[in-house]
Amino acid sequence: MANNAQTRTNRALMCIDSLSTSVGKSFAWLILVLTTAMTYEVFVRYALNAPTTWAFDFSYITYGALFLMAGAYTLSRNAHVRGDFLYRSWRPRTQALVDLMLYITFFLPGVSALAYSGWGYAATSVRFREVSIFSPAGIPIFPLKCLIPVAGMLLLIQGVAEIIRCGICIRNGAWPQRLHDVEEMETVILHEQEYLREHEKQDRHG
Amino acid sequence: MTDPQIGISMLILFIFIIMLGFPIAFTLMAMGVSFGFYAYYVPGQEVFANRVFTLLVQKCFEVASNDVLIAVPVFTFMGYIIDRANILDRMFHALQLAIGGMPGALAVATMIVCALWGIASGIVGAVVVLMGLLALPAMLRAGYDHKLSSGVICAGGTLGILIPPSVMLILYGAIAGVSVVKLYAAAFIPGFGLTAAYIVYIVALAMWKPSLAPMLPREERSASLGVILYEILVSFMPLTVLTIVVLGVIFFGLATPTESAAMGAAGALLMAVAYGADYSKRRNVLLLQGYVALSLVFTPWLIGVRSFGLPAAQWPFIAAALVTGSTFFAMMYQNTFTLEKLKESVFLTARTAAMVCWLFVGSAIFSSTFALLGGQGYVEQFVLSLGLNSLGFMLLAQAIIFLLGWPLEWTEIIIIFVPIFLPLLDDFGIDPLFFGVMVALNLQTSFLSPPVAMAPFYLKGVAPPQVTINEIFRGTMPYIWIVVAFMALMYAFPGMALWLPKYIYG
Repeated sequence: MANNAQTRTNRALMCIDSLSTSVGKSFAWLILVLTTAMTYEVFVRYALNAPTTWAFDFSYITYGALFLMAGAYTLSRNAHVRGDFLYRSWRPRTQALVDLMLYITFFLPGVSALAYSGWGYAATSVRFREVSIFSPAGIPIFPLKCLIPVAGMLLLIQGVAEIIRCGICIRNGAWPQRLHDVEEMETVILHEQEYLREHEKQDRHG
Repeated sequence: MTDPQIGISMLILFIFIIMLGFPIAFTLMAMGVSFGFYAYYVPGQEVFANRVFTLLVQKCFEVASNDVLIAVPVFTFMGYIIDRANILDRMFHALQLAIGGMPGALAVATMIVCALWGIASGIVGAVVVLMGLLALPAMLRAGYDHKLSSGVICAGGTLGILIPPSVMLILYGAIAGVSVVKLYAAAFIPGFGLTAAYIVYIVALAMWKPSLAPMLPREERSASLGVILYEILVSFMPLTVLTIVVLGVIFFGLATPTESAAMGAAGALLMAVAYGADYSKRRNVLLLQGYVALSLVFTPWLIGVRSFGLPAAQWPFIAAALVTGSTFFAMMYQNTFTLEKLKESVFLTARTAAMVCWLFVGSAIFSSTFALLGGQGYVEQFVLSLGLNSLGFMLLAQAIIFLLGWPLEWTEIIIIFVPIFLPLLDDFGIDPLFFGVMVALNLQTSFLSPPVAMAPFYLKGVAPPQVTINEIFRGTMPYIWIVVAFMALMYAFPGMALWLPKYIYG
């Protein structure tokens, strides 16, 4: 029974993680779109003497969508910055207890407020089919506003997953594994070095 | 309690929660919302009609449509790509040949590579570990002192976030409402000045105590002038040209920092493909040689067309773009810069951007609530009541930032704590531009000072076991003092920061 429940929790965790990850990664590709659009704008402005009317609005909409939708993905990688100079030295169980309390008292209310207020904000914008005021091109900005409540919802769901993780850690005394993903170059290299050292040690002993 | 007192307790509570290690962005958001709810509370009003909810979503949208912060993901993207182009070892080797005869040659070469690489990449962790794998063993093999060789890498690796184009200055610009372009111009001379000061220190130390940095054996630094020139050209030229173009375009106002960053990222992609191509295949050699020859002929002509009104036509530009695209597309076959590496850059960029920008969202709602409660005014009154002069205030502010750099990282300091000082600058007649460069210099130390010092810990992770963390920390100490001395020097001669922006923008 207990085992069954565990697999089910694990499956739910993986499900939420892959939801956040796939959304975040899909929107991550916008950086290529942004790079291309900006380069194109400079090219047509100087080389062809024909600046676009849409580039500026397009740029911040892409950037906004990129970081809003990557918020939950970043949370699922535990990559939001922490002031962790004390936290780092605690046992996993203590970490999980503190995290659990703060997720419930801080994270959930704050992010729910964002999702809730974002909803009304987006609804108003959609009703008017709001467009940007920065250029005559009439670039619609209501889609960007719609992403705010969506980002809030995704964060909320990911937050629930993190709370479950804290629960597992409190019970088992160790943090559960996360999905494999790309890592910062320094992290990858540090792991490789550690691995090499372990093996050297084993070779010497064995 | 009065409102300002509640504001101050909000700040104190916040600092306490930071210590608990919870993701700061969400701590800020929750505290901003709850204290804002109190500030906007109207008896008898429905819970959800409270104005704090509107404020929260407006602040969120302001960050999402901020035209300064767009540059953050784009510069980050450029950095991640440059980190994945294989040129670091070539640059280091070329410099070793070129300046092998001077005292402390390897350390100086390390410093120069770190600075140049850091300027283009701006990602401190990667620069430190890559140089730790490449330059540290080389220096140790040559008999260099442990402290000297590790200090150089840590100090050099962190220069990238000071020297423009740097993400740190973009964040400061967004917070202080100072033009990023002017900030870049202001940080230009201090950035290179600090690099020069580091190099002078290394050379002086190597001359004073040659045992710390023995000369390289002759066979490791003897090469014909032609070989040296070729190596320097191949390894340094593309990155240097890319950096100069990106910076030049910004300085001369030809494009916004974001557009310039985008061109830089596109250029970095081309560069990564060019370095990654398999040159044992004759096809790739011919392609690259042909491309370089063509661009040497056509670039001056294209620039001439635009600048001096030679007969203009659009087709040469379109042709140039198409040729560039197809040449590099052709070189992508069996390249070491794979789709996997591009993916890594894309995903890591999204994570870094989300980390920084969500912190901005949190900080925006937190600081508006803090100001609304009158906490900001309370701090201002308190500081004014101390009766400091401008120097005293500068010392106080910089000392606080220096101390915050011990436990915290630079993003938190810039986004959360620096805004508290900003409204006071006016009272003391300090130029926010000047203050920004001082802060950027100061935050160099936050990477080096224990206990939370990113650079030494990363270096320790890749260093051979005989180099201890204590040696690394002691190695970075002199550089912390150099930074402090340099800040004093800049305070005495503010022209170091303010002359260039004034000269360019009047």
